[in-house]
Amino acid sequence: MNRSRFLLGAVSGVTLAATADSLFGRALAQPALPGLPGDAADRVLVVLNLAGGNDGLNTVVPFSLQQYYRYRPTLAIAQGDVLRLNDEVGFNPALRSLKAMFDRGDVAVVQGAGYPRPDHSHFRSTQIWQTAAPDTFERTGWVGRYLDTAQLSKRNLFNGVAISQVLPEVMVAKDVDVPALSDVSSYGLRSDKRADARAAFSSIVRDDRVPFQSPYLATVAEIEAHAQRGSEELPKLIAGYKTDASYPATPLGRSLALAAQIVGSRLGTRVIYVQHGSFDTHASQKTTQDTLLESFSNAVSAFYADLASHGNDKRVLTMTFSEFGRRVAENASRGTDHGEASPMFLIGGGVKGGIYGAHPSLDQLDNGDVTYTTDFRSVYTTLLQRWLGRSAEGIIAGSFPTVPLLA
Amino acid sequence: MPVRDAVDSLVRFPQDTGLPDAPADLPDWSTYLAMLRDLKTGRLTPQAVVESQPGGMQGAAAQPAMNAQAAMPQTADVGAARKALALRFAAGSVLALQRWWLQRMLATPAPLQEKMTLFWHGHFTSEILNKGVSPPDILAQNQLFRRYALGNVRDLTQAVARDPAMLKYLDNARSARAHPNENFARELMELFTLGIGNYTEADIRESARAFTGWTLRRGQFTEDARMHDNGTKTFLGHTGNFDGGDIVDIIFGQPAAPRWFARKLLNFYVYNDPEPQLVDATADLLRRNGFNLLPVMSTLLRSNVFFSSRAYRALVKSPVEFVIGSYQLYGVQTVSMETIGELRRMGQFLFRPPNVKGWDGGATWLNSQTLLTRENFSSALMASPAMPVGSWLTDGMPASAHDAATRLVSTVLQGDASPASVERLVGYLDGNDTSANGTFSGENFAERIRGAAYLTMAMPAYQLA
Repeated sequence: MNRSRFLLGAVSGVTLAATADSLFGRALAQPALPGLPGDAADRVLVVLNLAGGNDGLNTVVPFSLQQYYRYRPTLAIAQGDVLRLNDEVGFNPALRSLKAMFDRGDVAVVQGAGYPRPDHSHFRSTQIWQTAAPDTFERTGWVGRYLDTAQLSKRNLFNGVAISQVLPEVMVAKDVDVPALSDVSSYGLRSDKRADARAAFSSIVRDDRVPFQSPYLATVAEIEAHAQRGSEELPKLIAGYKTDASYPATPLGRSLALAAQIVGSRLGTRVIYVQHGSFDTHASQKTTQDTLLESFSNAVSAFYADLASHGNDKRVLTMTFSEFGRRVAENASRGTDHGEASPMFLIGGGVKGGIYGAHPSLDQLDNGDVTYTTDFRSVYTTLLQRWLGRSAEGIIAGSFPTVPLLA
Repeated sequence: MPVRDAVDSLVRFPQDTGLPDAPADLPDWSTYLAMLRDLKTGRLTPQAVVESQPGGMQGAAAQPAMNAQAAMPQTADVGAARKALALRFAAGSVLALQRWWLQRMLATPAPLQEKMTLFWHGHFTSEILNKGVSPPDILAQNQLFRRYALGNVRDLTQAVARDPAMLKYLDNARSARAHPNENFARELMELFTLGIGNYTEADIRESARAFTGWTLRRGQFTEDARMHDNGTKTFLGHTGNFDGGDIVDIIFGQPAAPRWFARKLLNFYVYNDPEPQLVDATADLLRRNGFNLLPVMSTLLRSNVFFSSRAYRALVKSPVEFVIGSYQLYGVQTVSMETIGELRRMGQFLFRPPNVKGWDGGATWLNSQTLLTRENFSSALMASPAMPVGSWLTDGMPASAHDAATRLVSTVLQGDASPASVERLVGYLDGNDTSANGTFSGENFAERIRGAAYLTMAMPAYQLA
């Protein structure tokens, strides 16, 4: 029986959710690696891109370092304002709600994350973080390669979901088509008065025996077919999810609300991508960055409150990344230029909260930039092996030590 | 040969198109000051401004929402009222500018000029309502692109380096001798002229010094001697007391510069991932013509490459091309408000590119949401009562469903559909999918043709140019 007919034949959202779960979640469960607690197939990774290059030094503030205050005469955050994590570093005060999560042990901070010979271009560096390949050009993202090799059901259209306008490189796979959608309300065909045309539509959009060749023909036909089927299924599959959570009225708030709905509806989704920004603060950094950090912190806090109220908070791990941190010295326009390493956050009931990796030195700079202390591929390797339950082999080139940041 | 005649008329477009240079119905720009102040103090985020726009809402809900904003009471508290006022005007202006340009694209007798203007907008990007870039700044930049549409690329780059929208967007207006801001210098080389691998980090730092003092006074470009770094700079192997103009000239002496523009033009007009030999040949053409684009495009659009099988349907239509092309195909003469929101959901929000790199084009236009939005646009267009259905099939009424299907596939897709899909269209026209109203007839002619046109636009070939 056709999966979509079978699912759509079910009567209520609740039934649908349970059916989807048994079909795509448990039935396809991967055997857990030895020593891995719980069911890896039940877990979700949320990849949150802080796009534009987030200034790490004003996110996790090294308030104990005199150099920090020397390099940042107008931008430095006063010692008394920092939300202290220990005697050396603390959060930007805009991260108040994230600090509450840190205090509950739900936030791991990886300091100084980066890679060798860092690139200062937004686009190349974003590509490097998304493909996990600093020295080569890869056509697939690291999550895409995970989806390709995780033996997930090819019929499930929602193994990975990108909540964004454009499919990000990190989710680009060879064999799995990841849908990109920015919101559910506009994710669907308006049939208008021509419901009769819809039957013809589904065969016609797949027309691939056309009298011409084009490098994009197969892609167009495949995405059109998937989009039609996916947009019929998704709203029904997630309709049963009810929540009292109150999210900030920001794009990230809306993205994470949808992410919680997808997670809670148990569609078998393993990875969700969301993004926030732009953090490209060349001028007047303080206002922009503080606003963005506060909305990030509040949205993530609402997300976990929502997840927790459905018992999903331990199933979902959120990883942030940004293509680079920023120059240590501020510039003449009260901003900072492109730099190198910056911290990553790993958030959720599944992490062992705390601070990992050394804070980069401000005494020995690389042309004015901090040097990375943890290779980001160590974090990816950790998440693949210990969270998603797959070996990093074939996904991350090279071998990187794991970081003991999971509970 | 008719196609070549068409190319002739394209490249010989009239400078004076008889169209207005600026939209007539823009609200008073002085009201932006309050909004820009709020943006600056962070009381308002650019996202909030953008999302307040009708274009950001769902189709039919847009107009009532806009009216609701206009009718918002201004008594509650001063801050909120001012914010609402600012939003209302910002929304009105961005929308009015977008609509004006789309309308111009639709009506112009010089389509290549508008297409080049769109090309430059996606190349030398700036973003409205970000970093203080106002609607008048963006309009002035748009007019600059139109003036230089097929003009000299080096002169255009010099003008862009002095353009108020660019000086604000990439922060050069605020760069000073003491700690130069590198934003413009980096993107000038990485994205605008050379590409990664053709300069070093040191070149970025040195050229950022040369651009210090290129700023704005009362909204106009000025060279501020006190902010300018008068020292010696070493840039791409040249040493001297350079300013921004020297930097642009040195860049255009690099072999990578004509290659960069050649690759970008080929990707936009011919096909993606052009062969290195083709890039070199086009770059050579550009260099030999002193970076004058008119003779280069004139050659390119008449070339065997442009008419080759590799170039046939080798590009994914951009949302703007998809929408304006559909309007033209069916003779619709007015751009609707809903279209602007649909363009945004298709991934192309004019004057607000996704980032400084502009729109990547190609496969990045294609995903579930953007393709559904394209289908919904087609569906809405066909449902519009203003659609002049009869005029598409100009040679009288089609004799049969088969005749109608063949003519539609010929007009809309130049025949690029499989026989099976044509048969499916015939079946639809003859009512095979519905028991009501029977076979194709004068009674149901308009309704069936609209439906069949929608289906024809859903075929893969229609997404490809």
